[in-house]
Amino acid sequence: MKKIFIYTVLLILLVLAMPLVLSDFGINLATEIYIMSIFAMSLGLIMGYAGMVSLGHAGFFGIGAYTVAVIGQYVSNSYLLLLISVVISGLTALITGVVFIRTSKFYFLMITLAFGQLLYVLFWQLKPWTGGADGMSVSAILNLGFGEILSPNAFYYVMGVAFIIAYILLRLFVESPAGKITKGIMENEARMSALGYNVRVYKLLAYTLSGALAGFAGSLYSYFNVFVSPDLSSWTFSGQVMVMVIIGGVGTLFGPAIGASVFICLQNFISTYTERWPMIMGAILVILVLIGKGGIIHWLRYFKDIIFLRKQTDEGAPQNQVKKEEVVN
Amino acid sequence: MSLLKVENISKSFKTLQVLYNVSLEVKPGERHVIIGPNGAGKTTLFNCITNLLPIDSGSIYLDGKEISKLSPHHLVHLGMSRTFQKNNLFGDLTVEENLHLALVAKKSYRYNIFSPLASRSDIKKETNRILDQWEISSRRHIKVKNLSYGEQRLLEVLLAMASNPKILLLDEPTSGMSPAETAQTSEMIQKLPRSIALVVIEHDMEVVFAIADRITVLHHGEVILSGSPEEVRNNEMVKEIYFGGGAKQHA
Ligand SMILES: Nc1ncnc2c1ncn2[C@@H]1O[C@H](COP(=O)(O)OP(=O)(O)O)[C@@H](O)[C@H]1O
Ligand SMILES: [Mg+2]
Repeated sequence: MKKIFIYTVLLILLVLAMPLVLSDFGINLATEIYIMSIFAMSLGLIMGYAGMVSLGHAGFFGIGAYTVAVIGQYVSNSYLLLLISVVISGLTALITGVVFIRTSKFYFLMITLAFGQLLYVLFWQLKPWTGGADGMSVSAILNLGFGEILSPNAFYYVMGVAFIIAYILLRLFVESPAGKITKGIMENEARMSALGYNVRVYKLLAYTLSGALAGFAGSLYSYFNVFVSPDLSSWTFSGQVMVMVIIGGVGTLFGPAIGASVFICLQNFISTYTERWPMIMGAILVILVLIGKGGIIHWLRYFKDIIFLRKQTDEGAPQNQVKKEEVVN
Repeated sequence: MSLLKVENISKSFKTLQVLYNVSLEVKPGERHVIIGPNGAGKTTLFNCITNLLPIDSGSIYLDGKEISKLSPHHLVHLGMSRTFQKNNLFGDLTVEENLHLALVAKKSYRYNIFSPLASRSDIKKETNRILDQWEISSRRHIKVKNLSYGEQRLLEVLLAMASNPKILLLDEPTSGMSPAETAQTSEMIQKLPRSIALVVIEHDMEVVFAIADRITVLHHGEVILSGSPEEVRNNEMVKEIYFGGGAKQHA
């Protein structure tokens, strides 16, 4: 627990200090990364802690984004609007989850894929409200009580803080009784049931939290991007966020955030050089998945252990401390 | 009054009928052993009692309450708990973490999503008590998959006992054990408090007669006898099926 606390403090310091070294372009990129990290962490929660692999998670992202875009025309209070987004996406997850969580792994993948596509089509078809395939611009302006958030720097800090809050809430969840039980159900559902747990309640709980958080990410994106389109709920976007989770590290909380960072940086970097960036991205991602067993977060841990070990031996401290140290993320 | 009452339950898998009108009664604190050759339907009987498998007909009462439609997790909260013939543990978690998971099942905070489980002192205390009682404190930080088979078997029972059941169903607690481990487990079962009724599926006749108050013999899905150890030992039909000509490999 102490380690987790230290990591969290380091994370906060990092988020606060980054603008000191970043260019305007970098600030914008980092802001987008925070939003995508929240989205990736929400999927990472059900993939890595509940064993549910969804191919329709962008559906919730779209719900959050369109809520801000559509309802934002009538509601200006940002807190209220964010709350509405989270509640609507959470409720959607709760209601659909009742059906989805009963299915086996493969059917869960298929049914969530269908769910995402359904929303994609819905945003497309509801042209009078959503602008259809052309999408719509977002008129709502983020205002958290410190004036309107318009500058890149202001956006950076808001999204940075949102990211930290999301991380802390998720961390609390996975350490909580319900979080540990959910993980246990992922490992061995029959035994958890025989131990007295109503496994469906926990799966539904995780799915609902995850959907609500994905919706939250979507609503932030809506403010940030000032434009939304059905693509936000497309299965390719669901697939992209799944890739972020996998290259970052399934089964860890922070891994998906790292995956999101790597993905977005690569995408931006490569797309400035060539039109064929999706192909190159694809190749790089395949390589990352193939050689990066368990995800990038595990390489980082490995390097950290090496550095940590060297330091320890330099100071003549016992080495076994490294071994005993529990792995956190 | 009997604590567990199984009345005329039948169960088939598609065309294969596995249980025929099986009845069984267990009194509070009783040690009830179920014997029968492999494939007799003993595990299936446990699966039906705990509703991992739905029964085709018949009824099951726990404390006079009909339970055959209640979900497995609900039954734990009514005081019935079980182990599995094949070890069914959380291999990547430590001994301690396995116990934590088992112990939280009955806590009111099992749905809490904010405060860390690790900070709960009642769980820590109960875990320590169990580890001390069974003299496995030194193994607490070991991943369960790295335990010896016998230790895993013991943990299997300890997890089931964590919910503080009134009745505990043990499916072949000594299967696959060395003679020394079997003796140890037999001793452990005898040490369990009489506040818990036990239904034990067991093959080792030494263990059977060491623990049993009553024995039920299941054969091809039918109860052919339910009685005291003496009655079972002297019954001609049981002798024939079970102890008779070369039937030892069944046991
Ligand atoms: N889930 C199942 N589906 C089909 N047949 C099964 C199933 N479980 C058990 N059986 C069959 O039922 C019979 C009894 O099995 P079981 O209850 O495991 O016996 P025992 O525990 O007495 O050795 C066996 O013939 C077995 O093949
Ligand atoms: Mg069996």
